[in-house]
Amino acid sequence: MKNNLEALRSKHGLTQQELADRVEVSRQTIISLEGGRYNPSILLAYRLARLFQITIEEIFIYSPEENENEKQ
Amino acid sequence: MKNSKKWVEKRLKFGWIAIILGVIVSTYGVVSELIIFGVPFDFRFITGLGILLIGVGIGIVVRYRAAAKDETAAKRITNEEQDERTAMIRAKAGNRAYWVSTVLIYTGLMWVSFISNGSLPPMNEDILWYYFAFATVLPFAVYLYNIIHDERSS
Repeated sequence: MKNNLEALRSKHGLTQQELADRVEVSRQTIISLEGGRYNPSILLAYRLARLFQITIEEIFIYSPEENENEKQ
Repeated sequence: MKNSKKWVEKRLKFGWIAIILGVIVSTYGVVSELIIFGVPFDFRFITGLGILLIGVGIGIVVRYRAAAKDETAAKRITNEEQDERTAMIRAKAGNRAYWVSTVLIYTGLMWVSFISNGSLPPMNEDILWYYFAFATVLPFAVYLYNIIHDERSS
């Protein structure tokens, strides 16, 4: 799943470690999220959305086609 | 919010308990070796178990001691240990290792069953030992491989 996490983090002046500390995950999880290699749990998505004070859809971009490709 | 310091202190307590138990067990092993004779049992096995416990305990204490004194470090170490991605990777690796283990145990069971009903020739004890050792090590190797692989790819 694509996302705007890296742009949002830079906009708020946070390092990967600082963001990880704020949403209570490891730095490696933030790296994987930014690289689009990991899809977060609904709880983590909410934590990120609340931190940046935006909606989940503004951070994560769901594309059904990409999801179909993953299944194949 | 998680109570990170309490969580770290709990882990630290486990470490100290392992060290104390290790000292007791290894001391018992050494003393038994010196004062008990004529028993068809090697007490070095107990001493070895105690040393293993001490090693595990020291590992835990070293990992958590610094974090127990510092709230930020405690929070960071808690986040890393309870991280959802890490938990997912461990669960996936554990599931794969479980299936490997199940197949090996089932194969072993069938093997022994066929021997007991005479369909297969009797097995050498050494072969059985090597098979059990393989059945113990392989799932662990599968678990480690999957953790390393998924850590890199996800």
